[in-house]
Amino acid sequence: MTVGSIAVEEVLLLLKVGFLVLLYLFIWRVVRTASRDLRGVSQESMILAPQRVQEQKKRRRSGKAGPKPSGKLVVVTSPALRSGEEHAIATGPLLLGRDSENDVPLVRDEFTSGRHARIDPRGDGVWIEDAGSTNGTFVNGVRLTTPRRLSSGDVIRIGETDLRFER
Amino acid sequence: MSYRNRELASLVVVGLMTGFGFASVYIARQDVVSASSLSYGIFFLCLYLAAHAVTRLTVPNADPYILPLGGLLTAIGVTEIYRINPQDALHQTIWIVIGVVAFALTLFLFRRDYRKLESYKYLCGLGAVGLLMLPALPVIGERINGARLWIHFGGFQIQPGEFAKILLIVFLAGYLREKREVLAQGRLKDLGPLLLIWGAAMLVLLETSDLGSALLYFGIFLAMTYVATGSKKYPIGGGVLFLLGSFAAYHLVGRVRERVTIWLHPWTNHFVYCSQTGKVNHLRQDCDSYQLVKSLYSIGNGHFGGTGFGKGTFTDTAGNPLIPYLKTDFIFSALAQELGLIGVAAFLLVYMVFALRGFRIGMIAEDGFSKLLAVGLTFGFVLQTFIIVGGVLRIIPLTGITLPFVSYGGSSIVANFVVLAGLLLVSDRAQARNA
Repeated sequence: MTVGSIAVEEVLLLLKVGFLVLLYLFIWRVVRTASRDLRGVSQESMILAPQRVQEQKKRRRSGKAGPKPSGKLVVVTSPALRSGEEHAIATGPLLLGRDSENDVPLVRDEFTSGRHARIDPRGDGVWIEDAGSTNGTFVNGVRLTTPRRLSSGDVIRIGETDLRFER
Repeated sequence: MSYRNRELASLVVVGLMTGFGFASVYIARQDVVSASSLSYGIFFLCLYLAAHAVTRLTVPNADPYILPLGGLLTAIGVTEIYRINPQDALHQTIWIVIGVVAFALTLFLFRRDYRKLESYKYLCGLGAVGLLMLPALPVIGERINGARLWIHFGGFQIQPGEFAKILLIVFLAGYLREKREVLAQGRLKDLGPLLLIWGAAMLVLLETSDLGSALLYFGIFLAMTYVATGSKKYPIGGGVLFLLGSFAAYHLVGRVRERVTIWLHPWTNHFVYCSQTGKVNHLRQDCDSYQLVKSLYSIGNGHFGGTGFGKGTFTDTAGNPLIPYLKTDFIFSALAQELGLIGVAAFLLVYMVFALRGFRIGMIAEDGFSKLLAVGLTFGFVLQTFIIVGGVLRIIPLTGITLPFVSYGGSSIVANFVVLAGLLLVSDRAQARNA
């Protein structure tokens, strides 16, 4: 009986130690990869572009121009916008689509979707992505399936609107 | 190693830990439980592998640790529930299976683009309010332990608040993405929505007498507003408003006052008013704060190393349970006794590491809606953990709310698996670009 119960105690102790060791090793592993992962994205933040808002505030107060935009969109042809009209791409993302709440609203272009495409200035250039539109977003005639980096002179087609990206 | 292979390796480790846990309970309590307990370990490993197969199919680039961390918490919870009452563990296991099914369905439904949810944000908002109101309805609504949080539905008890939380986060993510520029400028007239939601949180507080949920919803709202605007005015201003509201509730609502008194003075050396008998004839630790005090003794009994799974003391010598609601609100004190300080420290670390992964998903997500969704889901998860663990440890007044993935309760399990699926969807989209 004594021998048996001692064995039971020892097995239980082994299980307990095994459980705890595995638990801490698992946590250690997740934390280690987490610190490695975070190094790669150090310039990103959870907070949505607070700098952009601060800059807007400053600009409103001082009446000065904002930071140098990372590019602009020039309207080539469109049923909704005047040809030659320019939309500056600042530091935050830009939404294009038929709804009036978009940053570049294309209200009268019937072939665009409510939220059609998203233009996103990042550290490594200006990216464009389709935002789940019905008729698709085209860059130089090629339909987007994945986000793509824009180069100066690229022509973006959204519905019946053509926009040229310029640095 | 690819993301999914890392997930598989982690899940095997989690399966092994589950096996260790159930084996300890079985060996320590051979006289009470049967050898079938060992099959639980294998069953959970199979269940995790099934969930893993779904993630391989639907979200190949998603975060590799979210699912194993959720699985680990679920397994620790069900081991402890099994140790308290094997019959309850069976029910809990059924709910976990339903949770995994909900997890798989969410992933399948939204695998192409979850962002279409943004178009339905007002529907989600209305749905959340509707769900929150359900328990207040007669016939199906039910008041348990003073709080009105449950509905009856075909023999099941459902806590709609758990699902309302998710819908509310989806609504806030869509709404704040749209309005954040306006909110960030912080003009007085734009504070309307903030005051409205503060009012709603206070109404929920008064109507359901449930402090924990009010704090949870309001906290999620403030955190998401901060993320959306980057302006500290909102969390600070909102915190002050919440304190003012709580102060008023303390003076107006007897139940709130009672909770605060229990929190500050759980022990007395003279007879005080006892709400059960309605007379001044008990020490407080023998009446109103009985539950909290017994739970503190339970935690203390764990010492540094814990008693080990299956060897804690949860019943008196006659076999009556010592702590009411041990498997739901007080599961943390059961775990603290059996795992000890070293064990629960690791257990809380698991929640922290989960937060780390969740906030990282928020960091790498590209668009505002996804960022807000990831941060909202993660923050809701950890704030809920803080509210209940903080309550049990007497850091804040105790309010009954479930410990995510661990407490006994179907609604909570299913809702949290949906949260897991949501985080995986966001991280899959964010990481697809780099893969």
